[in-house]
Amino acid sequence: MKKISCWILGFWLLAVLLGTVVKLDPNMIDLNAALSPPSSQHWFGADELGRDILARVLSGVKISMLVAFVVTTVSMLIGLLVGLLAGFYGGKLDKVLMQITDVVMAFPGILLAIAFAAVLGPGIDNLILALSLTSWVSYARLVRGQVLSLRQRQHVQAAISLGAGVPRLLLKHILPLMTSILIVEAAYNLASVMIAEASLSFLGLGIQAPHPSWGGMLRDAVRFMLVAPHYVLIVGLCLMSLILAINLGGDYLRDRWDVRKENT
Amino acid sequence: MFLIQRLISVFNVILGVLLLTFLLIHLVPGDPVAVMLGESASSADVDTLRAALGLDQPLFQQFGIYLYKLAHADLGVSIHTQTPIIELLRSRYPATLQLAALALLIGMLVGIPLGIYSALKAGRWQDILVTIISVRLSAMPAFWLGPLLMLVFAVWLGWLPVSGMESPTAIILPALTLGLGLSAILTRMTRTSLLEVLSDDYIRTARAKGLSEFRVMMRHALRAALLPIITILGLQMGSLLAGAVITETIFSWDGVGRLLVESIEKRDYPVTQACVLVVALSYVLVNFATDILYRWADPRVRV
Repeated sequence: MKKISCWILGFWLLAVLLGTVVKLDPNMIDLNAALSPPSSQHWFGADELGRDILARVLSGVKISMLVAFVVTTVSMLIGLLVGLLAGFYGGKLDKVLMQITDVVMAFPGILLAIAFAAVLGPGIDNLILALSLTSWVSYARLVRGQVLSLRQRQHVQAAISLGAGVPRLLLKHILPLMTSILIVEAAYNLASVMIAEASLSFLGLGIQAPHPSWGGMLRDAVRFMLVAPHYVLIVGLCLMSLILAINLGGDYLRDRWDVRKENT
Repeated sequence: MFLIQRLISVFNVILGVLLLTFLLIHLVPGDPVAVMLGESASSADVDTLRAALGLDQPLFQQFGIYLYKLAHADLGVSIHTQTPIIELLRSRYPATLQLAALALLIGMLVGIPLGIYSALKAGRWQDILVTIISVRLSAMPAFWLGPLLMLVFAVWLGWLPVSGMESPTAIILPALTLGLGLSAILTRMTRTSLLEVLSDDYIRTARAKGLSEFRVMMRHALRAALLPIITILGLQMGSLLAGAVITETIFSWDGVGRLLVESIEKRDYPVTQACVLVVALSYVLVNFATDILYRWADPRVRV
């Protein structure tokens, strides 16, 4: 399984690189080829405007991955800050911060991201904002829990009694012990952010035309399912293979570093 | 004591949810009223709507009015149709509930037995096959599983309607879309939970007493193994409700989720606000209920 996931991930990276080198045009319209099934000219077939699906898939994955990486990084930073502060200082600050995370978590799944994206309006920057505003909570929870247990460790207690300052304590003595857990969390988060982004784009709230996105392509594909079933199948399979590979990569990292015995 | 603590924290969360949904409309860049009415609106119209929505009041006062109106089941009116939003929700919410309930049923009926089977065959090919399928299924978001089911069962086989709500069989595909994802998660949870319980001392004791394997399973192992599933079910209601937004859109199922998407497309922000609020509140209450249920069902937690 690990090997397969590595292969799929490698395949997608290679495909993106090749797509950049070969320069397939994702927006070239050829109405004669509209909704044509896979052929030697269009390997994945063509969409309703005759645009090459392969080119759009490759260009779409680049944008999706970019959004997912930015969101994962931003939300990890917010989550780290909140978690470190809440876990280290405790007391009222902890109560207030945890109350806020509780409220954000009270919105199921991507509902809050949908709401934010809806009021902020379309566009990649708003999409990133909407997703970051909702996905930092899992990091905050995780980091807070870690800080609470790590600050009882002897080396941290020793550093405290030696008079180390708070930034030094957090950055040199506590943070390094959480890196593996954070990376595993980030790997899973990457997959869920990609799904969330695709969901929003599917609803028309994410990446806007003419930029290709897998969610948006799926929405178009569903409309033309009766005449061009290859469209929905190809885009869906691409999406699933990538999500699956990222998730398996996360499993691999988790087993390797033996963090959290979670069996979901 | 526990109940009081939980009630206080649920109350706090609900207050937070209300505040956040109330603030949503203020996140609209620029003037939300002008955005809602579009560019062609006259400034008199904009002012009228602003006053009607109470957006000309101080923020703090607005929140007070919002809460007061909510307490009187007044969610305002839709900007486009002028229908009271509470009416819209009343006509749409039951459809979402139906869908979620059927999906939950499918998830449990498929997921739990498969999980038990998988745990009983742990390590053998049947187990591996079930695990592979459930991992695949749980990686399938609704907007991919839904069209796939639609393609196979409605377009190719023609057994079920493609979308809409006219025929009674129309609920099957959307419910499967939501339910199968849930069943995949339940399968994996049941399997792990059961395997954990099966290695406990008291199971060995039960076997040593000479009880039949069936009795050991039914009376000793499953009872303990299925308890954590209650919590999972509560948490999964969340993804079910959020998934309903997408699934309802795919299958043109007239529930709250579709109402939400329609309101976003029309920039009918009061309706958007109300839909988000209703779904979030349902989720909070379901989780509260599962929490209580879990305590009641598991004597160990009560101690």
